[in-house]
Amino acid sequence: MKLRAVREGLLLVVLACLPAIGEGIYFRDKISWQSSIPASELVTVDRARAWGDGAIWVDARPDEEFARDHVPGAFSLNEDHWNELLPQFLPNWSPEKKVVVYCSAESCNAARDVAKRLRDEAQLKNVFVLQGGWEEWLKKSR
Amino acid sequence: MKTRILTFTLSIFLCVAARAELKWEQSTIDLHPSVSDKTAVAHFKYQNTGTTPVHFKSVKASCGCTTTQTQKEMVNPGEKGEIVATFTIGDRTGQQIKTVTVQTDDPNPAQATSILTLKATIPQSLDIKPAFVYWQSGEELKPKKISIKATKDFPAKNITVKSNSQNFESKVEPGSASGEWTIEVTPKDTSHPFGTALLVQTDYPKEAPKSFYVNLQVTNPPGAPPALKPNAPNAPAVKAATPPAIPKASPSAGVER
Repeated sequence: MKLRAVREGLLLVVLACLPAIGEGIYFRDKISWQSSIPASELVTVDRARAWGDGAIWVDARPDEEFARDHVPGAFSLNEDHWNELLPQFLPNWSPEKKVVVYCSAESCNAARDVAKRLRDEAQLKNVFVLQGGWEEWLKKSR
Repeated sequence: MKTRILTFTLSIFLCVAARAELKWEQSTIDLHPSVSDKTAVAHFKYQNTGTTPVHFKSVKASCGCTTTQTQKEMVNPGEKGEIVATFTIGDRTGQQIKTVTVQTDDPNPAQATSILTLKATIPQSLDIKPAFVYWQSGEELKPKKISIKATKDFPAKNITVKSNSQNFESKVEPGSASGEWTIEVTPKDTSHPFGTALLVQTDYPKEAPKSFYVNLQVTNPPGAPPALKPNAPNAPAVKAATPPAIPKASPSAGVER
């Protein structure tokens, strides 16, 4: 009796796995390879704004986009010119400040990558990625 | 009646047969640029295996660091071609995944959008930890250590460390294994905020030794105004302000972190 239940259970698991594997193979090119950002590392526009002077804004977009427009007071720090831009940003950082990194929109990865480097290489704490990025900031500013 | 059935069958057949289909040879390409490469280029080859022409509606890269080139706007049935994606490495390291979204006029929505993935593994030459050390204003003049390790793909035997600033003292000690060093840095004064960068140069590659930076900072006391004024709101300038003194690498040297 028990063996039958186990066998049936296994059969159900196999049957459930089949469409999942098929979907995985069929949509292999559409699988996101980027790991999502943990919620603790994300910050909303409203919350980041509420930090006021306690936050430093970092613009991870390419130079041209930063030159066009950016969050007032933000520093440009992208991976194209990381070695040149990091020393310009660091004198403005202090341990009690929160760092808010943003890129174009929710879908971009530049903010996540810059935030990771700030945490790993510069070993800064309190580094956050702005939810929705520049697009969301613009929406909230209207 | 027979004619009607024939017309119906034929129209169904034509609808099925008259399809456009762009088949990609590879939709994911792995690239392994060398230490000295500035770009990584992926060639995404395709063929129209359908019976009607395919038109490209848009080709968009996921990041400003990747540019794309299509050879043609329309691909005839049976025709082959490629989309070239050029990823500018800049100061990036490690695995980089960039996507290119291709949209065609294929009436089948599942076929109309293709996502091409470029995976570039950029070799890391030196592992510098941490790449930034700081002392708070008024902090004790205690030395801080920076560990440097050459990765297995980067057989550097020696490093030189330079600084433009007289405010820090630095000492390089070889580590326990070959290709490992420790830099000990001590500020001479922490009474006021200032910053500089140490230039770390390797003896590899011989023809164009690499340069790396370690940022040193005595930070503002809590609540003090920022050391440098960031760009004014909506200002067109790209750089924040005058950076702290950074020793210049020799013209032939590559720069990486």
